[in-house]
Amino acid sequence: MIWDALTDPVLRAPTLGSMLMCLASALVGVIVVLRKRSLVGEALSHAAYPGVVLAALFTALFFPDSEDGFAFIILIGAFLSALLGLWTIELLQTKFRVKADAALCFVLSVFFGCGILIASRVQFTHPLWYQKIQMFLYGQAATMTDQHVVIYGSLCLLTVLFIALLYHPIQAVSFDRDFAKSTGIAVQWLEGATFFLLVLAIVIGIRSVGVVLMSGMLIAPVVAAKQWTHRLFTLFVLSALFGTLSGFFGNYFSTEIPRWVSGKFSLPTGPMILLCASLFCFFSLLLSPGSGLLSRCFRIYKFRRKCRQENVLKAYWKGDEPDASRFFLWILYMQGWLRKDGAGYHLSPDGRHRAAQIVRLHRLWEVYLVDYMGQGVERVHRNAEEMEHILTPELEKELTILLQDPKRDPHHQPIPGKEGL
Amino acid sequence: MIKNPYWGKDFFSFFSLFFQRLFTGEVFTGDLASDEVQMFVLMLIAAATSIVGTFLVLKKMTMLANSLSHTLLLGLVAAFIIIQPLSWEEGLNFSTLLIASLVAGLATTFLTDGLTRYLRVQEDASIGLVFTTLFALSIVLVTVFTKNVHLGIEAVMGNVDALHKEDLKLIFGIALGDLLVVSLFFKELKIVAFDPGLASSQGISPNFFNALLMILTAATSIGAFRAVGVLLVLAFLVGLPLTARLLTHRLHLLIPLAAGIGVLCSLVAVALSRHFLSVYQVPLSTAGLVTMTIALAYVISLSLSRCSGKGKTV
Amino acid sequence: MPGNSAVKVEHLTVNYDKTPVLWDISFEVPPGKLVGIIGPNGAGKSTLIKAALGIVKPLSGKVLFFGRPLKKVRQRVAYVPQRSSVDWDFPITALDVVLMGRYGRLKWVKWPQAADKEAAKAALEMVGMLGFAHRQIGQLSGGQQQRLFIARALLEEADIYLMDEPFAGVDIATEQAIVALLEKLKTQGKTLFVVHHDLNTVERYFDWVIMLNMCLVKAGPTAEVFQSDAIVRTYGKSAVLLDEAARLSQHKASGKK
Repeated sequence: MIWDALTDPVLRAPTLGSMLMCLASALVGVIVVLRKRSLVGEALSHAAYPGVVLAALFTALFFPDSEDGFAFIILIGAFLSALLGLWTIELLQTKFRVKADAALCFVLSVFFGCGILIASRVQFTHPLWYQKIQMFLYGQAATMTDQHVVIYGSLCLLTVLFIALLYHPIQAVSFDRDFAKSTGIAVQWLEGATFFLLVLAIVIGIRSVGVVLMSGMLIAPVVAAKQWTHRLFTLFVLSALFGTLSGFFGNYFSTEIPRWVSGKFSLPTGPMILLCASLFCFFSLLLSPGSGLLSRCFRIYKFRRKCRQENVLKAYWKGDEPDASRFFLWILYMQGWLRKDGAGYHLSPDGRHRAAQIVRLHRLWEVYLVDYMGQGVERVHRNAEEMEHILTPELEKELTILLQDPKRDPHHQPIPGKEGL
Repeated sequence: MIKNPYWGKDFFSFFSLFFQRLFTGEVFTGDLASDEVQMFVLMLIAAATSIVGTFLVLKKMTMLANSLSHTLLLGLVAAFIIIQPLSWEEGLNFSTLLIASLVAGLATTFLTDGLTRYLRVQEDASIGLVFTTLFALSIVLVTVFTKNVHLGIEAVMGNVDALHKEDLKLIFGIALGDLLVVSLFFKELKIVAFDPGLASSQGISPNFFNALLMILTAATSIGAFRAVGVLLVLAFLVGLPLTARLLTHRLHLLIPLAAGIGVLCSLVAVALSRHFLSVYQVPLSTAGLVTMTIALAYVISLSLSRCSGKGKTV
Repeated sequence: MPGNSAVKVEHLTVNYDKTPVLWDISFEVPPGKLVGIIGPNGAGKSTLIKAALGIVKPLSGKVLFFGRPLKKVRQRVAYVPQRSSVDWDFPITALDVVLMGRYGRLKWVKWPQAADKEAAKAALEMVGMLGFAHRQIGQLSGGQQQRLFIARALLEEADIYLMDEPFAGVDIATEQAIVALLEKLKTQGKTLFVVHHDLNTVERYFDWVIMLNMCLVKAGPTAEVFQSDAIVRTYGKSAVLLDEAARLSQHKASGKK
């Protein structure tokens, strides 16, 4: 059963480990994405690679038998390397006038190339260790032990604590940096801390997601979560949720898929975790009720239908023939906007009220455009046809005050008053 | 194994042998040694990437180039799955690569644009999301279909030692193509990079030339893919123009200068690789070496420009 | 009559995602005028120029130059964009920037000839920048950069010039030099449009004015049109409603909640 992944002594370490790692990266990702700096993660994760290689070499030379030592040293190596990368990016941008994107790509490729160079040496002198280094390219959580989970778990906890303690300053700076600065928040220190967190999250995450795809795990859970909420706290919670679930399922599928295909190969965990996160993203973008694509299409459809309905009611009010199918008119009748008599349909009291309101908005808008915006009388009608369905009661009130409750529109037609409807 | 005249040579004798073969024409009449194939391929990559990369850097499109070079793998995988060639080698003929690069280019721009415009995702997040997802997908597909993780790793690192003359022809064609297109449209590319509003007002379409640049980038990345892998192409695309920029502010000098620096770096890298193998019996990744020589070139140029006190901007 | 106007704008409406809205703008300007386009921030002044040049696609309406669409008379229309729209670290010399004025004319493979280079140098001379011909543009001051852009426009040898905020961030000496140059062009029969932000100098500089606030408030000779009631309407709050309505309309169109 799938839940065995959490309890089985062999499977639980990789599963839990991946979940914790993705939790950390999702949380830090929120901050990074909100500050629109998500591609820095891409550069830094690649910059961590030479650190990984050197750390492996170091372990191979001095502590070849210590598994825990290996995990620990890798973390330190990756951390220092990524920090160096960060420092280089800053240097390039501030002192050598390199543009942001070029600085990122340069550091990304050069550091990675350095890592590859050293790794090629290790490949021949310590081939077993080379295999271990390769795991960090695309992630391979399968060899994690419970002790590793403890290490990564504590780092993850550190990340969560950090964010929790700094929650309010983070919120202030993400929303309005300059204002936050003016209220005395040490913005620069906070930004430094954010980068520190970013490096930490990357270093934690590369064991299961890998260097190449790490930036995706900083971005995907956040983009998914953003579709469901606008509040910062909920954003953190949902990103963490999506991240953790991706870690769980990604890990699960990376062990299961080879079994289904009955092959004797191993699938790296990184791509699977990322694909799960992307799937969450995809569904959120499509289906979320607030800003999902489907709900937006639905809202557009509803608005257009409202416009058609109101146009029909308006036509009746003016005494014209409405341009609508019998079915459409029948729907309006069932909804109570129209009444039926022998000769056909006519407006019900509610319908008359609504139609008059639309006409009022139309004519008020025309007065506004002509008198206040200097528009030609002949041209305002078309725009008013659109705006009559859009103007809100607040705008109507403002218009009435601004125009001093006019009684006639530019075409000298009477404007239905607010009271006598 | 064909006898490799460079076997056992150290750094300096490598050069003397190379120039000797170059001037006596042995390089052209006889069989190319594998070292020479590597050198020429890398030099051509340097030339092609200088031409294309300069405009990418000026238009701040380097992250898009990074994105594109990753999604190329998906194009290749898709082409492979559809065409089902018998071997990895056979599959890499020109038409496959062409299809692959077109598919990848289209998918990247279409998805990134679609995410930003219709789904209202912020631009940096769209870029990051699209290429990591497509790359992850291609890694999974490649591993499942070939039951082998190695191809995924090679995609990222390249394998200079596996190069042969077919690759040389390919990259030569691409470099030539880049040169022709950019020479033809140099003014247009320049004005679109510098002032797209003015270009538009003069009837020169920025959209058209951006698309053209992306196509050239895709083709160049594919050409370089086998040798250095997707990530190190970026070192060429970005590193060479940045280095050249430190030394000149004239665009028409910048590109040849970047190419020249690249050629030099390629030569040095292959020679170093042979040197380490001969003298220390240590085989190193030539792709990694060339990246580090480009970085070194940057540092050297930086010191040169600071020393001359010009305070150049980049 | 089409032959009599330099620029004729007919019912131009621009409704774009983030750029300000322009609603149903119509006006006509005879040749040989120095026209100021004024209005508050976000009124659509830059958008008007960009829409006229086809840089931004209008929703409806059209702009005619000498009675014909831009495509047919491109070579008679020159554009001076905002200085901030350009990356001044670009590896290019002043002379090269000016030469760009000819690119529209040199179709495809043709390279700038010696004659073009001479003309570019002459244009630099006219704005007093010949000594800077081979400088990298980032080394120029704000005023010098602006003069460079004007030299580039001069090279196009156009009859209509559209300039976006040429006096922004420029020292007084440069501003006066530019105004003198514009006056000279006007006496040669050119028509010049300048997006301007300083109300104090409008009457001094321009003989024709277009007052915009998303809608056209007034357009015509400065003496007639630039009066206090029109100024109040241009800069007043009455457009706030329009802005709000435009925003709502965009929300409904894109299905936002």
